[in-house]
Amino acid sequence: SMLRYKLIYFPIRGRGEVARQLFYLAGVPFKDDRITISEWSSLKAKTPFGQLPVLEVDGHQLAQSFAIFRYLAQEFGFAGDSPLEALWVDVTADQHKEYENKIKPALRFQGSEEEKEQLMRNVAEPARDKYFPLLEKIAEEHGSSGHFVGASLTWVDLLIAEHASILLKQFPGFLDRYPTVLAIVDAILSTPKLKEWLEKRPDTAF
Amino acid sequence: FRACSMSRVFFYFFEILKYILPETMPSYKLTYFDTQGFAEVSRQLFALSDTPFEDNRLPREEWPEYQKCTPFGKMPVLEVDGQKLPQSFAIARFLARKFGFAGKTEWEQAWVDALGDQFKDYLNAFLPFFRVAFGTATGDLEAMKKSDGEPIRDNFFGILEKQAKDNGSTGFLVGSSLTWIDLIVADHMGVVEYHLPHFLDGFPEVQRVRRNVIETPKIKEWLEKRPERPY
Repeated sequence: SMLRYKLIYFPIRGRGEVARQLFYLAGVPFKDDRITISEWSSLKAKTPFGQLPVLEVDGHQLAQSFAIFRYLAQEFGFAGDSPLEALWVDVTADQHKEYENKIKPALRFQGSEEEKEQLMRNVAEPARDKYFPLLEKIAEEHGSSGHFVGASLTWVDLLIAEHASILLKQFPGFLDRYPTVLAIVDAILSTPKLKEWLEKRPDTAF
Repeated sequence: FRACSMSRVFFYFFEILKYILPETMPSYKLTYFDTQGFAEVSRQLFALSDTPFEDNRLPREEWPEYQKCTPFGKMPVLEVDGQKLPQSFAIARFLARKFGFAGKTEWEQAWVDALGDQFKDYLNAFLPFFRVAFGTATGDLEAMKKSDGEPIRDNFFGILEKQAKDNGSTGFLVGSSLTWIDLIVADHMGVVEYHLPHFLDGFPEVQRVRRNVIETPKIKEWLEKRPERPY
């Protein structure tokens, strides 16, 4: 194929979705290589870190989702408009990752109602209440009406909006105490070009 | 609370100063505990670039008070002309790009970032064992070494060893000059070897990177004058 860019990932949104969105928003064609588990077992040893997603540019591989997102964002103009803005994008993304690692056990948990309730009380709510006040503060100090950082779309906007849409599907009302965040997520998901992608992308549970 | 309001004053002072004298160099103050930890890479970036900075090592007992004025309740915090910036890797990347130690091309920069995030993932997995090794947690050191320490080490340092080799055995992990990932790895190795001698002997290419870092004149100078702490 003559395409410069290839994104290799599983057939889910997960840690690949933001890259796909960046390509689509930039109008840059790419091979959206969604591989199966058996394909992965033979590919794994040929990747830099034995993990996905992997970005291939002119045949050269890059791993680690945030490194990929930041690289594409810089190429396509979604990384912040100054070094300080780029820093606040990075800060927000790293803070978000720390939160996501904490809340993960409560997401998509298949167990008894009692266990779900315990996870909500002991894991999900504390993780939320530690992080979302910080996110609101970042948005208030460094963001704007439609963006967490700066005045134009950045990769961290996409990262958070994607997570929020999964979160609110599973736990409706979960972010009601964070109206600033909800408003920004809403604005991001309403961006025309992104809306186009959300409508045409393959439908997966997560 | 007094400390928070004082930093507001400094911030506005610097805003005015920048307006009057736009060519003045930014002022830097890095606040962290009196250890290497997550601040050391940034300290070394200042040393490498000959950039003056205030190396604010906070005594443990002052932390609860200072914490109230931090953006996210954590350290390190870098103050640039009075503006407070959190998150150690965001800080390191910001300084490295400013001073020329982030990688020479966007692709190299991306690889440095990727190795940095891989290091973070490794460290999260490695720390439970490592805390036992340096005595801040209890556990069966020998058992944990076999079940956790060694496999986690081999996975990550195997990646680094291959990367260093693929990069031409130059003593740099990425590209042909020092980047902040070289600094992070070298510092971490020093801390590991201090508590677990010979634990990283099996990685000669990565050892070459470490030697390259600590023999770089400005780093050598810094290592000689910095306070020596166990981690």
